[in-house]
Amino acid sequence: MNAIEIHDLHKGFEGFFLKDISFSVPQGTVMGFVGENGAGKTTTIKCMLNLIKKEYGEILLFGKDHVEHELSIKNDIGVVFDDLHVPETLNATQLDKIMRKVFQTWDSDYYFERLAQFKVPKRKKIKELSRGMRMKLSIALALAHHPKLLILDEPTSGLDPIIRDEILDLFLAFMQDETHSILFSSHITSDLEKIADYITLIHNGEILLSESKDALLYEYGIFKGNSEEVNDLPEHAILRTRPGAFGIEALVLKNEVNEAFRLERPSIEDIMLFFVKGSV
Amino acid sequence: MVGLILKDLMTIQRQMKAQAFVLIFLLVMAIFMQQSAMLLAVIVFIVTIQAITALSYDEQSKWDKYANTLPISKADIVFSKYILSVMLMIFGLVMALPILFFINFFTNNDITSEFFLTFNLIITSALCLLAVLLPIYIKFGSIKGRIVLIAFCFIPGFLTGMFKEYIPDMTQTFLYLKQYVYLAPLGGLILLCLSSLVSTAIYKRKEF
Repeated sequence: MNAIEIHDLHKGFEGFFLKDISFSVPQGTVMGFVGENGAGKTTTIKCMLNLIKKEYGEILLFGKDHVEHELSIKNDIGVVFDDLHVPETLNATQLDKIMRKVFQTWDSDYYFERLAQFKVPKRKKIKELSRGMRMKLSIALALAHHPKLLILDEPTSGLDPIIRDEILDLFLAFMQDETHSILFSSHITSDLEKIADYITLIHNGEILLSESKDALLYEYGIFKGNSEEVNDLPEHAILRTRPGAFGIEALVLKNEVNEAFRLERPSIEDIMLFFVKGSV
Repeated sequence: MVGLILKDLMTIQRQMKAQAFVLIFLLVMAIFMQQSAMLLAVIVFIVTIQAITALSYDEQSKWDKYANTLPISKADIVFSKYILSVMLMIFGLVMALPILFFINFFTNNDITSEFFLTFNLIITSALCLLAVLLPIYIKFGSIKGRIVLIAFCFIPGFLTGMFKEYIPDMTQTFLYLKQYVYLAPLGGLILLCLSSLVSTAIYKRKEF
């Protein structure tokens, strides 16, 4: 079963469109949702959560329509935005009292365990917390009702590598249960390399690719050479090219290229740059 | 719904504490001036208007973006603000009435039918104020809402001034209406219910 299924999602604003977005997140996997700022990641996520209304298309969460079954779906998801959107005069203990009334499955013990693990002060007002602490609190809030799906919109942006690593470990622990899934939107591609099973790349409101991370990292290769050398590559093997420091760089299908060509292993960032800035 | 009301009460808690000092000052003034009705009006309005403070805090923190990811319906999010306001108003009355009787006892003012008239009018005005304020603030937010509200207050006055000669003498009408004043709070409550339906319709069309 797919935790998330999106078919032909369309949403238009002045000067920006989400164009026929389609991708799915299989249950038990982590989908890295990657793209530059303004590519449409947050808009897609907002459509999924019905925070903004889609123009057309189908969005299924746990196989159910996201508007028709909105409340039952929202019982099973945890959402983390790039900031904690709760009144700043509240503190973590007050939020526990509130959430206990919102979720039937709210687990206060688990919540306070996470706060202790993250060293988030229980009684300090949110406005007095650092950005890192706010994000950790936001993640504890998203996890404490034991959701099946986490929807994370840039949860690690603006955080230092130590905190990011701690947060990623927590997500990996969440994924120990094979019915759990994560949609992880980020432009920090190294985070996605650590945690994602699949990568979906969005650019200018369009999905450029949606594939398994291993396929991307092991089936693709980068060839660096001059234009003549690149011309020697089989045409069907070349996915994208772009000017490099010493001539031309080409993103190629590894298995379609003779072993005589020396290929480098690409990173998610390389692939993103090839697809966004390279030419076909 | 309970969670939302709890959240609002916790959010405005500090604000309420700060305003308690204003109330103490007013209390002293009311005793000296022997004006218990004024005290009642101020307490009821200050407490009732806290629902707007809660809305401003929500707006500042973009709470609605988060609240709409929780298993809470949009109707409940709106309705919770109305329930909160009415709860606060009842709280204001419970707080104000004993003080009022206390003042009247010491100033030897009897509770007259005039007092019940004022009492009814204060409650009705508070209910009507909420019925107008909440949809405006939900639709426009607190900054634009304030401007719309000012326009809303001035336009009727401006129109009355412009067309003064066409408006018949209202004194007789008011005297006639006075006998129905005990029904006024009920009218206010009905208006508030209608306002909640309008606010819900506005909120459902909003994007976050």
